[in-house]
Amino acid sequence: MGTNTDYIIAVDNLVKEYNGGKVTALDHCSLNVKKGQVIAIIGPSGSGKSTMLRSLNLLEEPTSGKIYFNGIDLTSKGVDINKHRQKMGMVFQHFNLFPHKTVLENITMAPVTLKRQTEAESRETAMKLLERVGLLDKANEYPNMLSGGQKQRIAIVRALAMGPEVMLFDEPTSALDPEMVGEVLDVMKELAAEGMTMIVVTHEMGFAREVADEIVFMSEGRIIERGIPKQIFDNPSNERTKNFIDKVL
Amino acid sequence: MFWDWWQSLFADMSSTNFLNFSFLPKYGYAVIQGVEYTLILSVISVLMAVLPALLLATMRLSKNKAVRCISGAYIAAFRSTPILVQLMIIYYGVFSIITVPKFMIFGFIDSTRFIPGVTALALNSSAYVAEIFRAGILAVDSGQMEAARSLGLSHSQSMRLVILPQAVKNVLPALANEVITMVKESSVCMVLGMAEIMFTAQTIGGRTMISVGPYMLSEFIYFVVTYPTSKVIERIERRMRRGDKH
Ligand SMILES: Nc1ncnc2c1ncn2[C@@H]1O[C@H](COP(=O)(O)OP(=O)(O)OP(=O)(O)O)[C@@H](O)[C@H]1O
Ligand SMILES: [Mg+2]
Repeated sequence: MGTNTDYIIAVDNLVKEYNGGKVTALDHCSLNVKKGQVIAIIGPSGSGKSTMLRSLNLLEEPTSGKIYFNGIDLTSKGVDINKHRQKMGMVFQHFNLFPHKTVLENITMAPVTLKRQTEAESRETAMKLLERVGLLDKANEYPNMLSGGQKQRIAIVRALAMGPEVMLFDEPTSALDPEMVGEVLDVMKELAAEGMTMIVVTHEMGFAREVADEIVFMSEGRIIERGIPKQIFDNPSNERTKNFIDKVL
Repeated sequence: MFWDWWQSLFADMSSTNFLNFSFLPKYGYAVIQGVEYTLILSVISVLMAVLPALLLATMRLSKNKAVRCISGAYIAAFRSTPILVQLMIIYYGVFSIITVPKFMIFGFIDSTRFIPGVTALALNSSAYVAEIFRAGILAVDSGQMEAARSLGLSHSQSMRLVILPQAVKNVLPALANEVITMVKESSVCMVLGMAEIMFTAQTIGGRTMISVGPYMLSEFIYFVVTYPTSKVIERIERRMRRGDKH
């Protein structure tokens, strides 16, 4: 397929089963993402959004199907997945900062360990990124001293410090107190504006409508519909999409 | 003299009296050495168990079924049989093939008995410590491994930099408890003539014909060593758990 190289990420007929096939979390999903695109994945709970996102960097091993990243099939044997993951930043619902390391160490650990930067370079990168998200003064704090919103901004910085080509977000604001959602979304909007390729699983419909280039609606492990926000929100073509949109808006 | 007065306390006591401690002036020093012996034996056994236990725990959590089974079998075997049997098999079996050179450790510990004894206790303890480590590793939130892997770190780098440092903290109280257990369990080493607390008590009993007093003293010593220590560990553990909530 010549198309695989046109996209930064191309998912081809992805199937993910759990418990020996008793649960089908993903049912023949295909999804293409162009460089610089912001894709929002929406859908009801249990529809497979997280599984889809986590399959992209192989945190979940697909049962069948292919995942191309820059034209390389990540599911094929002999692929060094660690190398590709360095280019795919991931941000989790519960932040997953390393509690035994300071904010600065959280950010510099991977680039230094993986010899992408020297200690000094990595520290400089970290400081610049921290300044951008307004948390320079927290560099030497431990994560448990931070608010949820601050933790998530640090988690984004930690992923950015690797210089990723794609950023994957799994409900980055769902675990936050309402008053902290804005500060995290602002950082994400800024990233999108700079041209970062982003795939965001989210319940924030306002964010999806405003920032996403395309919305992907999932239900029961399938991609039901995909389109620009205006079409999905104002004029969904599928009944299930319509029901979901009516419920959440 | 103090000791004359001490002995006069027991002048009319029968040799089967629970509180007949008249042997102390003559054997007090041996008792102290016995306590030292027990403490050295237990601490070294648990320390020597740490590395094999780490290996066993990692094997136990491996993706490879054969590797998991080997470690599981080892742990099951050592946890399901008496330590006394293990001690005998290792002393009379393994150490009849391996000859230990004779020298004195700290001036009073005979290497030809101590080394087989420590080996047996450490092999036994490693089965228990492996389970402690396994629980400690599993207690680390699975999101930690995912976050580390998503940054591109390998499994072993993630283990070393992210999981194990957090697991160690979970594990320290249990490890200290294992030393306490070993203080008690190491009493089986008396059958090899290792001069720890119980062997010393038996020897004193034999020499003085005071039957139960030496064992009462041993009972008292074990209690004084283990009970306060376990209370302190409990308290530290509670404080650590409180510190974890944020
Ligand atoms: N490790 C697992 N073992 C078994 N079943 C799983 C596992 N992970 C996910 N599933 C199942 O797969 C399906 C999809 O789950 P997934 O977490 O991807 O949904 P989601 O769309 O992210 O939902 P939510 O909005 O609640 O996060 C669900 O039915 C879920 O129960
Ligand atoms: Mg989810």
